[in-house]
Amino acid sequence: MVTGGRTDRALDGRTAIVTGAGQGVGRGIALALAAAGANVVIAARRATTGEPVAEEIRARGDEAVCIETDCTVRADMEACVAATVGRYGALEIVVHNAFKGGRAHRLEDLDLDLWDENSRTAAWASFYSAQIAYPHLAAAGDHGRLILITSPAGVEASVGIPAYGPVKAAQRALAKSLAREWGPLGVTVNCIAPVAETPALAYAFEERPELKTRVEMRTALRRIGDAEADIGGVAVFLASRAGGYVTGQTIVCDGGSFMGL
Amino acid sequence: MDANLFGRVVVVTGGDLPLVAGLAAGLAGSGAIVVTLDADTLGSRPAAEAAFAAVAAEYGAVHGVVHAAVDPIAYERVPMHEVDDARWDAVWEQTLRRALFVLQAGHTQMRSAGGAFVFVGSPVGMAGAAELAPYAAAMEGVRVLAKSAARQWGADGIRVNVLAPAPEHVPAGVASGELALSPPALGGAGDPADDLAPVAAWLLSDDAHFVTGVTVPADGGVWMAG
Repeated sequence: MVTGGRTDRALDGRTAIVTGAGQGVGRGIALALAAAGANVVIAARRATTGEPVAEEIRARGDEAVCIETDCTVRADMEACVAATVGRYGALEIVVHNAFKGGRAHRLEDLDLDLWDENSRTAAWASFYSAQIAYPHLAAAGDHGRLILITSPAGVEASVGIPAYGPVKAAQRALAKSLAREWGPLGVTVNCIAPVAETPALAYAFEERPELKTRVEMRTALRRIGDAEADIGGVAVFLASRAGGYVTGQTIVCDGGSFMGL
Repeated sequence: MDANLFGRVVVVTGGDLPLVAGLAAGLAGSGAIVVTLDADTLGSRPAAEAAFAAVAAEYGAVHGVVHAAVDPIAYERVPMHEVDDARWDAVWEQTLRRALFVLQAGHTQMRSAGGAFVFVGSPVGMAGAAELAPYAAAMEGVRVLAKSAARQWGADGIRVNVLAPAPEHVPAGVASGELALSPPALGGAGDPADDLAPVAAWLLSDDAHFVTGVTVPADGGVWMAG
């Protein structure tokens, strides 16, 4: 290991689970946490996407392992947390990022299959992530961190995907409530609302080329975020000692687009 | 009281709390024909569609909906690590589904002539509360679901807003003073019929025809965060 044994990084010695880390924002956060010294568990629904990210992190000399996990299934999340603690001895940081269900729809036509994708991956999986990690976060005390990845749509809704805003709003309310509930333990709970280059966004831009310009022009910084440098950096901040007095908050990390908080 | 809802049919869901009974009485005082529906008629989309169609058949076109139905289990304070799947389902999942079915069934009735929804929300969702995470999540989910509907259905002449009463109106053990750094500016939590219903009536009335997707905290001046 090139960087093995270093103890000067913000997250040296900590262990993190990142759900949905096989691509996009989750991958960027996983890379950043690992580069800051954390042992990172790539909790991906498919090892075929998660394992290459773990490999990429190890190739940099950082520490990561992929544990195939469907975070909408309680037993899967329990097994992931148990394996993490078994391997690394503790769990201080949980980032729930996984999401599925962003297909455009009309509210009057919304069926329970699409609703369930939104509800299970955002709300239920946040519940499971929080609850199953709880004893370990509590044991970690003021190193304990829960970070939920939400969206500006969780504040102001989004016209084309009406099921998305409500489930992202639920994550913000969970973060506020758990920040209050777990604050006495020293554990912080926050949300990040990111916009970054991801396969999902790349696909949307491919389908609608004018969309990229529109998103860039409404963004103060005139560029779309980088998942590792821009979003991962905020996750590292929240996970580190530097972010230890920030709790119950949503950090909108979108280059200055949504300013409604 | 102004009769700004004279002759309008307004469906009120969830009549178990004094809050809701007071809202219904106050809306009747504004001239509305108030029809209450129990939460158990809203458990599936077909059930909700049938209940709303029955209201329209008996009383005439539905103009407004005040949705307040919440399973009382939601008000029980339980630490997150003790919440089981059944409780999470009852509080989060069923609250959101009921709200969705009410919106869909209301839309079916109102899409041709327009209308208005008022969702009764809670500042507990906006501020968060220890040992009430499922309730807070459900209330914020419902609040943003209302915004989703407001964004999509504006073109159909349908408005959707949220009324946020003081937390003392539900038995969750949260006091207004916990939600803001200052006490209620006007003092007290307000009377549902006298203080809250006029706000709901205004939101449902044509006077509010340019207002949609907003949350009105009718809480005597507690929530001032935006």
